[in-house]
Amino acid sequence: MALQRFIKTNFDLCTGCSLCQLACSQRLLGGYNPHRAVLKITHSCENLYHHPVVCNQCRNPYCANVCPVGAISREAATGAMVVDRERCVGCNLCHRYCPIGVVGVDPALKKSVKCDLCGGSPRCVGACPTGALELAHNEPAPLNQAAETGEGAVDNG
Amino acid sequence: MAEARSGHDAYAGQFLVVDLTRQRSHTVPLPDWLKRDYVGGKGFGARLLSDLCPAGVDPLGPENPLLFMTGPLTATAAPSMRACVVTKSPLTGIYLDAYFGGRFGPEMKYAGYDGLVILGRAPRPTYLWIRDASVEFRPAGGAWGSDALAANAWIKADVNAPEAQVVTIGQAGERLARFALICCEYNRQAGRGGAGAVMGSKNLKGVAVSGSRLVRLHDPDAFATACAAANADILASEACAALTHSGTSNAVPWSNTVGTLPVRNYYDQVSPKADRLGDAGQQKHLFLGKAACFGCPIRCSQMGAVRTGKYAHLITDIVEYESAALMGANLDIHDIRAVAHLVKLCDRFGLDSMSTGSVIGFAFEAVEKGALKIPTGVDADLRFGSVAGAEFLIRAIAFQDSELGRLLGQGVKRAAAQLGRGSEDYALHVKGLEVPGWAPRGTPGMGLAYMTADRGACHQRGFMVAYEVGGASYNGHPVETYALEKKAEILKGEQDYLAGLDTLVKCDFGAFGIQEVQYQRLLTAATGRTVTENFFRHLGERIWNLTRLFNLREGLTAADDRLPRRIVAEPLPSGPHKGRRISRADMATLRGDYYRVRGWDDQGRPTAAKLQLLGLDKKRRFDCGPQPFPDEADTHSADGP
Repeated sequence: MALQRFIKTNFDLCTGCSLCQLACSQRLLGGYNPHRAVLKITHSCENLYHHPVVCNQCRNPYCANVCPVGAISREAATGAMVVDRERCVGCNLCHRYCPIGVVGVDPALKKSVKCDLCGGSPRCVGACPTGALELAHNEPAPLNQAAETGEGAVDNG
Repeated sequence: MAEARSGHDAYAGQFLVVDLTRQRSHTVPLPDWLKRDYVGGKGFGARLLSDLCPAGVDPLGPENPLLFMTGPLTATAAPSMRACVVTKSPLTGIYLDAYFGGRFGPEMKYAGYDGLVILGRAPRPTYLWIRDASVEFRPAGGAWGSDALAANAWIKADVNAPEAQVVTIGQAGERLARFALICCEYNRQAGRGGAGAVMGSKNLKGVAVSGSRLVRLHDPDAFATACAAANADILASEACAALTHSGTSNAVPWSNTVGTLPVRNYYDQVSPKADRLGDAGQQKHLFLGKAACFGCPIRCSQMGAVRTGKYAHLITDIVEYESAALMGANLDIHDIRAVAHLVKLCDRFGLDSMSTGSVIGFAFEAVEKGALKIPTGVDADLRFGSVAGAEFLIRAIAFQDSELGRLLGQGVKRAAAQLGRGSEDYALHVKGLEVPGWAPRGTPGMGLAYMTADRGACHQRGFMVAYEVGGASYNGHPVETYALEKKAEILKGEQDYLAGLDTLVKCDFGAFGIQEVQYQRLLTAATGRTVTENFFRHLGERIWNLTRLFNLREGLTAADDRLPRRIVAEPLPSGPHKGRRISRADMATLRGDYYRVRGWDDQGRPTAAKLQLLGLDKKRRFDCGPQPFPDEADTHSADGP
């Protein structure tokens, strides 16, 4: 199994500028709108704190677990959980059960969208001017642990 | 190159016109001629104000339009873009534009509008809730009477949309203090000239916007390349790096060194305690981390908190240079924590901290000179150095609940005229707008910039300090500090260029680094429009002449293009420019030169030839439909013949 990539967030460096969300929405939808990006930033305490929230590419992905048509699966090359739009029926169950709200149906596409790590070179990481987003990877999980989380069941890579 | 690649041009393609009187709204398509000749931001604002504001109206009357305008690059990934408010100023009675960063500007475009045209006056306190095509007029309820930040939170809760972007006014705007601002959440304000009072006069407490639409580019690949080049310019710029490091706070010690820091109501221009107000003092007492406006890599905001002392646990942005200068050194207050407290009060109550600092300095001096009697029952110490005195006056101005507050809430020009007793001599304003924190007695070009800026004394329409004491060269030659020659020519170039970029709408700090050619590439890639080498300067000159025509229409004369008496008649007592002033004769020379290079007559009026050259002789007007508004959903096109 390849190294599983993910985006590490460093909230201490985030300025809330949203350039990550602009890069994301441009790639995903062909236009700019931060609300329709697949990563979020929460701003709090009069902008003293900015907290980027990105897909965890979970080892136990509730989005995939609840998908009634098996449209969300792990991509072997990157380890990202990706949506197969051909299979997606737009039911939005993935959004309902994602604990951090970074997957769900886009209002125009009528299909679920989520972070696919841009195929391995995430645009958001490239757009971040401060290093608040970094591309990282996990060591491959030991086999018995992967089995316990049920990961194998949805890993069609 | 000019043919559409994607069919998109980064504009939303329409304005939202809101009639508060009748509680109705409709959209007006963005006319092609307006895009072509005015581009966006300041250009749209100047044209719409000229066409929609009847001559001679009371700025606080329902006839004065309140315009929120974006530019073609607002809401894109182009670095460091903003939006602006344009209206007729209740402080000056002339053209006003006030620029703000943050996130409200982009949100207007995500909701599908290049700008909001707000007309009339609501019958009762109201806020607007705009979600894409949906526009609701909602009772301001518990937000009315509350400060700008509390109102922001109240409105977000009332619409149950934490992601909405909200602009609000504080108590000062509701009560029509003439230098009230519009708070553009958080720590960003349309600060100068009293746009908040215009909003208050319309019974409009706030505007909340949330948008789900996409802003699409003409050529995304070319745009990405242009953004990369603009970002590289920012990274290569020492000025931008300094802003990233410590925002505008490092300008305090610098300004003190070059002798431009206002001290004790501009009596002097150097202070031995200035460093306490600058980056050294602020790093020690305030800063924690950085925040950025939407889409900005510079992140000049230094967010933090006062941790110790009387004002502990006050959350505060950086105390910007202008606030540190005018609310600090100018009042002889050098405890940065106290200055942060005073500025935060201004932000909450919704007052321009620049004008407020100048007004308080004026009041302190008037008390010192016996022109202003402290009312009975007031035990605050209204003297230079008194934090309590400054706080007392801020509250009096914001709440407008005393004679003193009502006197000072009009700004120094009107206050001095009412007070008399020689107080006009130390009322520091041009055309009614209080002078910024770059005191000009050693920099005559900066004086000319104040004399001629379209909204009154403004440092952002041409920052001549950079040439006169900052080492910037002009056409490869150093600029002589005290000389009068060439200053008008240099200033005209700055004013035209910056007015051109204010159509995009650029941030001044981004423009410190980003080269002209990158702005051209960004505009072309975003809109598909190819532009010539001098595009922004020519565009800026057209707008500069249009705002001049507006101001002349509103009664401005050449006699108003002058500096306050302290700058003209009182030689500087100390510092690097000791003994300097900008004399009456100097002013006449500078003004004559300026009118000449502008192609204006000796009364400062644009000549017919100049207007023709700029295309301002055409009788094209922006029209947003018959007024009063049609009963049915309106499809009227605003495009001219």
